[in-house]
Amino acid sequence: MLALHSPKQNYLLAALPDADYERLLPDLERVPLELGLALYESGSQQVYVYFPVASIVSLLYVMRDGPSAEIAVVGNEGVVGVALFMGGESTPSRAVVQSAGHAYRLKGSHLRTEFERGGPLQYLLLRYTQSLITQMAQTAVCNRHHAVEQQLCRWLLLSLDRLPSNELTMTQALIANMLGVRREGVTEAAGKLQAEGLIHYSRGKITVLDRPKLEARVCECYAVVKRESDRLFAGKTFAADRQL
Amino acid sequence: MIENSLLAAVPRKAYRRLIAGLEPVTLNFGDVLYEPGETIRHVYFPGASLVSLLTLADGHLALEVGLIGREGMVGVPLVLGHSVSLVRALVQGEGTALRMASASFLKEFRRSPPLQRELYLYTHALMAQISQTAACNRFHVVQRRLARWLLMTHDRVKSDRFRMTQEFLGHMLGVRRVGVTKAAQALQKRNLIGYSRGTITILDRKGLETAACECYEVVKDMHDGA
Repeated sequence: MLALHSPKQNYLLAALPDADYERLLPDLERVPLELGLALYESGSQQVYVYFPVASIVSLLYVMRDGPSAEIAVVGNEGVVGVALFMGGESTPSRAVVQSAGHAYRLKGSHLRTEFERGGPLQYLLLRYTQSLITQMAQTAVCNRHHAVEQQLCRWLLLSLDRLPSNELTMTQALIANMLGVRREGVTEAAGKLQAEGLIHYSRGKITVLDRPKLEARVCECYAVVKRESDRLFAGKTFAADRQL
Repeated sequence: MIENSLLAAVPRKAYRRLIAGLEPVTLNFGDVLYEPGETIRHVYFPGASLVSLLTLADGHLALEVGLIGREGMVGVPLVLGHSVSLVRALVQGEGTALRMASASFLKEFRRSPPLQRELYLYTHALMAQISQTAACNRFHVVQRRLARWLLMTHDRVKSDRFRMTQEFLGHMLGVRRVGVTKAAQALQKRNLIGYSRGTITILDRKGLETAACECYEVVKDMHDGA
């Protein structure tokens, strides 16, 4: 059975073979992620990578002239800090905690050493990077072509998948910021979903009441992203997969 | 001379091994190198050619999320351990490229840490381009995005004239054709570009840089720094 607090609550860490996991374990540090905390600022040097557990981190692209838009969400299926192992000095995005919880952090230098061993951790991190790219590309196309209401459904579902309950702590202003749309647009879309009994929101909390209906309403972008992230953990047969 | 700058950056020893598997090809305007869901059979290192990565929604609404020329490689999923393309890779600038069968590429990739480092760095720069595109599409008007797109194309093809249809541009920018027409006319009116019979001519590059959104500079810095 899984301990109450275990790095294995993060799927990437849980997918590691015992030997690799145990080598990392002493250097993994459990840290609280408070709502609104910025793990990185755009363009800054990154020191740690974060493996979230029961929390969600938004990657936001920040324009030079001010506005920002969410380009991906990372939860217990992923890791924040891809730049550290891909070798980029910094990222043009901000990483902000969107749903409070915890993460296990690891020094970037440790991660790089492990990554360069070329074992299962490298394999998992690279595959995760691919699913992150898919999420970013799909977000771009969704932003362009789909109505705010559909985007809101996508955002709610992607968030729910990364949390243990059906409740999100979230204000409409924050959602508007994530989706890069005006607040009125979110209010209108959320009002519609509430009137139809799909969600309930009050005082900064959103509760999903009818997930199947939300799934029927969402654009295909949700399924595309989910499929890629599911595929990552489908067969944990590293050797077979690596032969392509 | 090695046209592709990724290949040019690979140490000589690794490059010599690569060259055996590299085959010169000409990519033609409109060629589809991969469709979403298709197995990647070859990777491509563009020389004078230019390849767009398009994400589809609802089967037809497209949007360009990446643009690859002499600074990059088409087939990045292989680097990340994935053998299937998730985007459409469409040739939008005719020209030369070197291609390599996926199996041979992977063999070299796995035995060459310098090649791995180059390609991971490049992948990271490509991710920056994708996230930039996501935000740019959200906030910037068509005219500025068109200017940016023309500059990115100009940088890669190194010619002042290139073939382009408005329908194609609509797919790139994710807008309807009328939107493209209006934006192109506005740039033409300002004497920044010439446009006739499917050919675009860059007339005033400096002016186009002023007309483009900030995203052009940001992505350019990322690639130049990489």
